[in-house]
Amino acid sequence: MTNPIPKELFDKGFITEDQYKKIDLITSGQLVSLFYELRSMLYLGVMLFTTGVGILLYQNIGEIGHMVSIIALCILTLVCFGYAFKHTLPYSNEQVKSPNVYYDYIVLLGSLLFISVQGYLQYQYGILTENLEYSTLATAAIFFLIAYRFDHLGVLSLAITALASFWGLSVSPQKWYSGDFFSTSNLHITAIIFSMVLAALSLGLDWKSIKKHFTFSYLNFSMLIFFVAAVVGLFEDEDWYGIYVLLIYAGCIFTYYMARWKKSFLFLLYALIAAYIGTTYLLADTISDNNIELWFLYSIISCGGFIYFIVKYRNYFTRES
Amino acid sequence: MKVAYHETGLYNLAVIKETKRWLKQHLIQDSQFQKINETYTSSFYHPNFIVRILLFVAALFALSGVTGLFALFVNGFQGGELFFFIACLFYGVASFFFLEKIFIQRNHHYKSGVNEALIYHACGFTIGGFLGIFDFNEHAGLFIGVVVFSFAAVRYLDLVCSVLAMLTFAGALFYEFYNLGGIFQQIIPFVFILAFLPIYFVTKKLKSKVSLKFWLNNLLIVEFLSLLFIYAAGNYLVVRELSIELMDLYLEEGNDIPLAFIFYALTIIIPLGYLYYGIRNKDIVLLRVSLLVVAFSVFTFKYYYSFGHPEITLTVAGIILLVLTILLLNYLKSIRYGFTRENTLVEKWASVNAEAFIISQTMGGNQVTTPQQFKGGGGGFGGGGASGNF
Repeated sequence: MTNPIPKELFDKGFITEDQYKKIDLITSGQLVSLFYELRSMLYLGVMLFTTGVGILLYQNIGEIGHMVSIIALCILTLVCFGYAFKHTLPYSNEQVKSPNVYYDYIVLLGSLLFISVQGYLQYQYGILTENLEYSTLATAAIFFLIAYRFDHLGVLSLAITALASFWGLSVSPQKWYSGDFFSTSNLHITAIIFSMVLAALSLGLDWKSIKKHFTFSYLNFSMLIFFVAAVVGLFEDEDWYGIYVLLIYAGCIFTYYMARWKKSFLFLLYALIAAYIGTTYLLADTISDNNIELWFLYSIISCGGFIYFIVKYRNYFTRES
Repeated sequence: MKVAYHETGLYNLAVIKETKRWLKQHLIQDSQFQKINETYTSSFYHPNFIVRILLFVAALFALSGVTGLFALFVNGFQGGELFFFIACLFYGVASFFFLEKIFIQRNHHYKSGVNEALIYHACGFTIGGFLGIFDFNEHAGLFIGVVVFSFAAVRYLDLVCSVLAMLTFAGALFYEFYNLGGIFQQIIPFVFILAFLPIYFVTKKLKSKVSLKFWLNNLLIVEFLSLLFIYAAGNYLVVRELSIELMDLYLEEGNDIPLAFIFYALTIIIPLGYLYYGIRNKDIVLLRVSLLVVAFSVFTFKYYYSFGHPEITLTVAGIILLVLTILLLNYLKSIRYGFTRENTLVEKWASVNAEAFIISQTMGGNQVTTPQQFKGGGGGFGGGGASGNF
């Protein structure tokens, strides 16, 4: 693969000879990075191993030899965290770079093994059988600790999903797709409150300058939960749908400022889709007219206008993100 | 065929994108990037990925409105079926013109989301219209699919259309031989290998041509898919299951498909070949494909020769993968044979936030705590497969 760009920039004097040599080494394919391949393999390895171990434990509960495997797992978990503690840098409110390439994956492996062990112990000895949800809360708390101590974004998102599931919320687009989101009634109200508290909490932490690079993940989860819950509410509580439309609009204003601040269009994407659904619902209810042509015109004008707006104010929506 | 976009603009945009990656890796200074940015200007409207998705969705909604009005209008004529399909064809071709005149030439849209929506919309109606006119003949349909998708891929540099063109081409190849029946059905795997091997080598040659630099990503897709098709055609599982499914092959206990030993051999040889040549030629495309197909080959053998304990397989596979990767990571601590474990250039799709989200979707943590549904402590039951949600 010949890439003419480095040579041209060098010839025209935009880059120095040293830089050209370095860049050419990479773009000409003489130096090949396996960074993403190796990371994907680590990720896959962790996923396969913890899934396999999880099933193994569950299937062999109460059998001989299985005490040994539990102990082995405990030791492995301890080894993972021992390694993590040995190589970790001191805690800081700032972002801490991981000391080596596989460090993050060892922390992740330890965390996932930990839930296997914890889930097993609880099932076998019935420590918390009555109140299983509290064990989720405990898991969430421990994950938060791990995430903050070892500066691990992946474990943080595991912690947030565990915390959400303590309240009965499943934060998974896969499950929403299969219609599993808020099966019990009024869960969408819980979800709305949960997402607001989560957002407020993350803003507070950010304001105190504690792990500012975590804020994006927190906000992302809160906004996803908030908008999905508000849209579900729109269709569930038909008599009160006006409140949900107002909630969506309020969420949009908040999201707008967050999107500007974090320079994230992802947030705007959520907000705009929710606002569009809300507004369309409102219009369908107020000036409901079964004239199909009118609805075709509505979709053309509203979406066309929206595209026009985005393109017109393109400088505002710069490529930075 | 020429690209629909302004060529200098395309080149300048490519320079900016490339140098931005250098800047992120601190290979060049900020001031240098600014200078390059001022020199290599383009008038394109090319927003970032999220805005593209947003515009794509909005454009699809708007187009559905247009299509609805169009359908009402055409229905008003009561012109019969043929008239309807001709109108569809006309509408599809008109969409291509609309895209070129209004969005590409006047407003300089380049892969803006609106472009993509219009391209797929236009492809759909053009192909649909043709299909209707030819009375839904499959031969004609597949042929037209290849032509229209290739046209869109080449002229608008669209990657999805490149994939679709390759798929319809493979589909056509399969379908034609399948319909000939008899011995022709048997040789389909070899036809695929013989067809896609030259395509692969020609594509590799074309990639190095400077005059084709705008199509580099399209060619990469063709290269990647050709390698996959070659592998799939020789894979035992694919051949066996398709033979049973489509050719009414009935296998009794202990029987095997014809020429089974060849397919067993290919299932092993092709991935190893990819891996070997990937390492020897430092070919990242071959290497990535080889990782995928090695995994699939392992799956193929486990599928037919299983010990009935998938959980042990999973655990052992995980351990092997982890140990192997850690060994490789240690081995590549310093650069060896031109390979490094360090990141040289940031891939444009890579993001720590996206990675964190994928972890939360695929690994544990997601379990809903209902005591009745105890699921082994949620140790990774999350259900794989959620990825690319960003």
